[in-house]
Amino acid sequence: MPSLLGNIFKGWADYSKGNEEGGHHDYEHMYALAIDLDLCTGCNACSTACYAENNLPVVGEDKFGARQAMHWLRVERYFDEPDMDKIEDTNATDTQSRGASFLPMMCQHCNAAPCEPVCPVGATYHTVDGLNAQVYNRCIGSRYCANNCPFRVRYFNFYDNADSWPAPMDQQLNPDISVRSKGVMEKCSMCIQRTRAARDTAKREGRELKDGDIQTACQQTCPTSAILFGDLLDEASAISKVWKRHQVKLGTYKQDKENPELRGYRIFEELNVDTKVLYLERVREV
Amino acid sequence: MSPDRPKRRPFPWIRTIMAAGVVGALIVLGGQMLEQERVGGESPVTEAGPRVPNAVFPTDTFIGKDVPQPINYSHKLHAGDLNINCLYCHTYARRSKVAGIPPTAKCMGCHTVIATADEKPEIEKLTIMWESGQSPAWNKVNDMPDFVHFSHERHLQKFLFDNPDMNVEDSREVCAMCHGDMVEVGVAKKMRPLTMGFCNTCHENNDGPADCTRCHK
Amino acid sequence: MATKIDRRNFLKVLGLGGAGAALAGCDMPSYATLEEGEEQVFSYLAPEEYMVPGIGVWYASTCLQCAAGCGVHGRVREGHALKLEGNPDTAVNKGKLCQMGQSALQTHYNPDRITSPRIGEKNVTWPEALAFIKEKVTGAPVWMTGSISGHQAVLLDIHLNASGGGAHYAVETVNAQVWQAACADALGDAQPNLHIDKALSVLSFGADFLGTWISPVKFMADYGAFRAAPRGVLTVVEPAMTLSGANADHWVAARPGSEAAVALGVAQVLATAYSVSTSALPSGAADAIAAMTPERVSALSGVDAKTLSKIARTLMSNSPSLVIGDGSYETAAAAMMLNLMLGNVGATITPGVELIPTDLGVRNGSTKALADFATDAQAGRIGTAFITGANPVFTAPGGLKIEDALAKIGLKVAVAMFEDETTALCDVVLPLASSLEDWGTHVPATGAGRGEVHVQQPLMEKLHPDVLGLGDIMLGLAQDAGADGLEDFEDYYGYLRTAISAMIGADLEPAWQAVLQAGKVQAPAADRAFTANGAIAINVPETSAPTAGQLSLITTARQGLFDGRHANLPWLQEAPDQISKAVWDSWAEIHPATAAGLGLKDGDYVTITSDSGAITTRVFLYKGVHPDAIAVPMGRGHTHYGRYATGIGVNPLSLLDGTADARTGEFINTTSVRVHATGDNRHLVRLMDVDSQYGRKLAATISADQLRRNQANKQGSA
Repeated sequence: MPSLLGNIFKGWADYSKGNEEGGHHDYEHMYALAIDLDLCTGCNACSTACYAENNLPVVGEDKFGARQAMHWLRVERYFDEPDMDKIEDTNATDTQSRGASFLPMMCQHCNAAPCEPVCPVGATYHTVDGLNAQVYNRCIGSRYCANNCPFRVRYFNFYDNADSWPAPMDQQLNPDISVRSKGVMEKCSMCIQRTRAARDTAKREGRELKDGDIQTACQQTCPTSAILFGDLLDEASAISKVWKRHQVKLGTYKQDKENPELRGYRIFEELNVDTKVLYLERVREV
Repeated sequence: MSPDRPKRRPFPWIRTIMAAGVVGALIVLGGQMLEQERVGGESPVTEAGPRVPNAVFPTDTFIGKDVPQPINYSHKLHAGDLNINCLYCHTYARRSKVAGIPPTAKCMGCHTVIATADEKPEIEKLTIMWESGQSPAWNKVNDMPDFVHFSHERHLQKFLFDNPDMNVEDSREVCAMCHGDMVEVGVAKKMRPLTMGFCNTCHENNDGPADCTRCHK
Repeated sequence: MATKIDRRNFLKVLGLGGAGAALAGCDMPSYATLEEGEEQVFSYLAPEEYMVPGIGVWYASTCLQCAAGCGVHGRVREGHALKLEGNPDTAVNKGKLCQMGQSALQTHYNPDRITSPRIGEKNVTWPEALAFIKEKVTGAPVWMTGSISGHQAVLLDIHLNASGGGAHYAVETVNAQVWQAACADALGDAQPNLHIDKALSVLSFGADFLGTWISPVKFMADYGAFRAAPRGVLTVVEPAMTLSGANADHWVAARPGSEAAVALGVAQVLATAYSVSTSALPSGAADAIAAMTPERVSALSGVDAKTLSKIARTLMSNSPSLVIGDGSYETAAAAMMLNLMLGNVGATITPGVELIPTDLGVRNGSTKALADFATDAQAGRIGTAFITGANPVFTAPGGLKIEDALAKIGLKVAVAMFEDETTALCDVVLPLASSLEDWGTHVPATGAGRGEVHVQQPLMEKLHPDVLGLGDIMLGLAQDAGADGLEDFEDYYGYLRTAISAMIGADLEPAWQAVLQAGKVQAPAADRAFTANGAIAINVPETSAPTAGQLSLITTARQGLFDGRHANLPWLQEAPDQISKAVWDSWAEIHPATAAGLGLKDGDYVTITSDSGAITTRVFLYKGVHPDAIAVPMGRGHTHYGRYATGIGVNPLSLLDGTADARTGEFINTTSVRVHATGDNRHLVRLMDVDSQYGRKLAATISADQLRRNQANKQGSA
C-alpha cells in the first residue's frame, strides 16, 4: 500500500489543478452524450436495449411501485404546462393541445459528481475516460451516493435478482459485464464494456480510437438517432461539434452563449455538478 | 457495619484500550512502510531479470489443488519434452480475453496419427468423445470470480507481441508470469495466487493501469 | 470515582480504542484460493475459424416481432445469441430497432416455451403427432396465420393447393387495411410509398405511424428527417393520445368515430377559405365536403371551428403535406381526399414497388379474415384448421364468439411457441422454433428499398431439440399432401437455398454466404403506377356520440405489448407505457371532467361493460383523451399465456361487438360502454407519478419561431 502521505505530496501538483487546466485527472477521453429531445419520440427502445445489454433485472409490479426498479435509462414523460394549469379545474373539458415531452434520463457522468466524494469505500470515482465509474465488488451498499444524486439515476440492488432470469433466460446474459448481486449500487456506465472492447480493438490494430468506433446500446438502437455518444476531447468528433454548435462548455454553470436561445442545455446546471449529457430542446410550433 | 475498604487505584481501562489501539496502528502502519521499501527492491515477490525483457517478473509461488480433469493431459510432455509453444493450443490468448482450451480437433490433428487411441488409454478416451460429438468437461483451474474481467490479449500484447526484445517462440516465459512454469506439471495446476494483490503488485511494477474499471466492470 | 466500563462509558471506550485499529487499514496478504475447480469449461470440438471464445460473432437475420420485418444483426457468443441490433444495410430500418425487436431475445429464451408436441394433455413425439393429424384431418385444411410473406407463404399456398384448396386466413389485429383500401380505391395502388421525410406537414387521423402503423421504425427514421431543417409540423387528430399524438405540435381530441367528419371539415375550410379545388375528387365527394360545415363538425366531433381553421392553415402554409388516416375506411378515405385536394399525390405519396416474383409478396393480415374464419367455421365449412402466428381467442372481439366457432372445427392444430388461449382449445400443438432459430425470407411491410427481400437465418442452435421451424413444418405437410416439385428437399433450408440461388442466379457457396451476410437478397421489382381515381364512398355517420349515459370505449395497440403477443416478455411488461408510464397492469384513460362526473379519482377501479362483455380496471386521468371516450389499450388480460402474462390486466377486445366497417370488413375498435366505479382504489404503478415539470427546465421546449430566428441570425446554429 503506497504511503498515504507520500501520495498526497506526489500528487499535489495534480490535485491543485483547476478545471480550466483539465482538472486533476489527465483525461485520455471525455465521453459525453448529446440527446436531441426534438427527435426523441419517447418510444422506449433505448431503455429496453439497455436492459438487454447490461443484464438489468426485471423486478415486477410491487417492487417497481416501491421505486426499486433497475432501469438505468428511463424515459420520463411530461405534459406541457399550459394544459397542466387546469388539471385541478375538473369542469374544464379542454383537452391536450400539444403532445408530451419525453426525457431520456440516465447517469449524467458529472465531472463534479456529488456521488463520488461520499462513498465510504471509494467504489465510485471518475475515470480517465471522463466516466463516473461504479465498482460493484467494492461497493458495500451504504447508498450515500444514490442519496446525493440530484438526478436520481443510481439504482440499488435491494434484492438478489436470481429469479429475474429463470432458465433458459439466463443464457441471454451478457458475459462482458458483471451480474450484480444484492447490496450493490449500479447505474449507467455509458456501456463501459463496449468502450473497453473498442479500445482493445484499436490497440490490437495499432491505431487510435476514432469517432464512431463506440456506440452505446441506447444510441445504436434509437430509431430516430436522437442519442449521440462520443469523445469531447476529440475535436473532430460529431459530439464535439454538437456541444460547440450549441455553445455549451464543461467546467462552468453559467454558459456564455452568443445567442441565449440556442437549443443545447444541461439539466440542473445551476447545481454546478458539470454534467456531460447535453440535451437539445424540443421544438414545437406554438 | 462494614469496615472501610482501603481505596485502590482502579484499573485504567480506558487508557489501556486507547494505548493498545495506538500501538496497534503504529505496528501496522509501520509494517506498511517497511513493505514500501521492499517493493521495487529485492522483493520476494517480483524480480527484474532476464525471463521477460522489459518487465518485472512475479516470482511468488502457490501450491494449487490437484484438480481432476476428464482427460489426463500432460503439459510436461507436450510443452516440456516436445517443446510445443503455449500459443499453439491456447491460441485464443492472442486475440481474446480467454486463452481458451483448444478444440478437440487440435488434439486429434496429431493424435489420429501419433500416440493414437490404440496406444494410449487417455487418447482412447478422447477419441471416443470426439467420435460421439461430446465436448470434454474441463474443470477450470486458473479461474477468476465473475466480477473480474481479465483480458489475455492485452497482457500478451504488452509483454509478448509489442515487447521489442521478446520472441514469440519464448511465449512460455510470458505465460509463466501468471501460470508458473507449466512444463513441470502434468494436468494443469494453479501456481500463482492470482489474488488482487498479486495482480496489483505486477501492475505497479510494470506500469499497468491502476483504474478499477479496467478489470471490474 | 472508579472508571469502570459501564454502559455510559462503553461506546466511548469502544470508539477510542477502535479508532486506533481502524487507522491501520488492512492489507493482510491472503493466499486463500478463490475458484479452483469450481466451474467448468466445455471446449469446442471443431469450430469455424472465425469462432473465437470471448469475441462475439454477428449474424444477419430478420425480426419477426411485428409485420414490419426489419433486418437485424444478432451478436452471438459461444453459441448463444446475446443482443440484437438493427441491420445497417436494410433500407427499412437502417440499423435501428424498436423495443419489441430488442425483446425478441426474451421471446426466444422464454421459460414458458412449448418444447414438445402434444395431443390433448399428453406430450407425444413428432411422428405420433403427425400421424394423428393425418388420421384425423377432414376436408381441405385451412391455415390461419398472421401477415406472412416470402417463401413460407409460397409453401403455405402449395400445401393448401395440394390438400384440397382450403382457404388462407391472414389475421392481424394491428393492420392498415382501411388505409390500403382507401389507397387502392383512390390511386389504384394499395401500398404507395409515403414520404414523411419530404413532407413539411403531416396530418394524421389516428394513424399511429410512430408507434404501430405499418412500419414504425422506418417512419421514425423518416420522422427524424421530417424534423430536420426545413422543419415539418405534425398535427394529430384522434380520440385518445397515441405515441404519434404524443409527438404532435398540435394535438386534437375528436370523439371516437368522428375523425372522418373532422377530415371533411378541414376539406371544407380548404375549399371555402383557401379556394382549394375539389375537381380532382371523385363525384359526390365535393358535395359531402360542402355539407360538412364547421357547425356540423363541432356537433359530431367536439372539434371547434378555430381548430379546424388552424389545421387548414397549417396544411396550406407548410407544403407539401401528407395526410394519413386509420380506424375506419371513412377516416382513411377522407384523409386520402385531402391528399388529392392538396396535390400530395406524386409529391409525398408516390407509387409503391411491386416485386416481380409476386408469390413472395406480403399477404397482409386483416380482422376481416378473422370474421370470415368465424363465419366459415360456424357454417361448418372448416373441418381442419392449422393456426400459427395468431391468437384469435384473445384478439377476437367478444361479440364474435370465436370460441363457439372454433368448437365447430373438427381438428385444430396449433403451431406455436407458447401456450395461449387459442392453443388451449386446439387438439394438437406443434412446437415452433423462434425467429432466432429459424430460416425464412420476408418482404418488409413497406416494401421499402426496391425489391429488397429480407433473409432470416438461425443465430444459434435450437434451444429445445424438439421444435421445428415454420418452413420445415409447411414443407413436411406439403410433401405429405403430395405436392409436386418438393421431393428433392430434405428440409426448408434446402428448399430456401435452392430458391434463393435461383433468385440471384448463382448457387455456389460464396454467393450464398454473401446473401446471408447481407441479410437480404435483391429481387427484381418494378414501380407501380397510379391509375385514375376510383370512386371513394364517404359515409359519415349521423352521430358518433355514445348512447346517453355511456362512454365510447376505444382500444389501440401500443409499441410494446402490441396486440397482446408480447405480454409474456418481462422486459416489455416492465417497460413503462409511453403515454401513461404504467407498468405490469392495464388502465383506462379517462378525461378528468368525465371522471369528476362519475365521481372517480386516479386509481379507482371501474367496471366497463358492453353488450359483449365486462372488464374491471383502474382509471388514469389525463387530458389526452376526448371527454366522451374511455381508452383502454390492448395487450394485457391474458388468461393463458405463461407466467409473465397470465392474470395480469384486462383485455378490452372482449368488449368489442364485432361490428365491421362496411367497405373493408375490418372490425371497428370502438363501442359504447357503461362505466361505473366498484369502490376499490389502488395506486396505479407508474414510472413517475408526476406529469408536470413544476417549472424546472428538465425537458425543455423552444418555439419553432425562435428556432427560425436562430437560423436566420446564424448565430451558432439551431
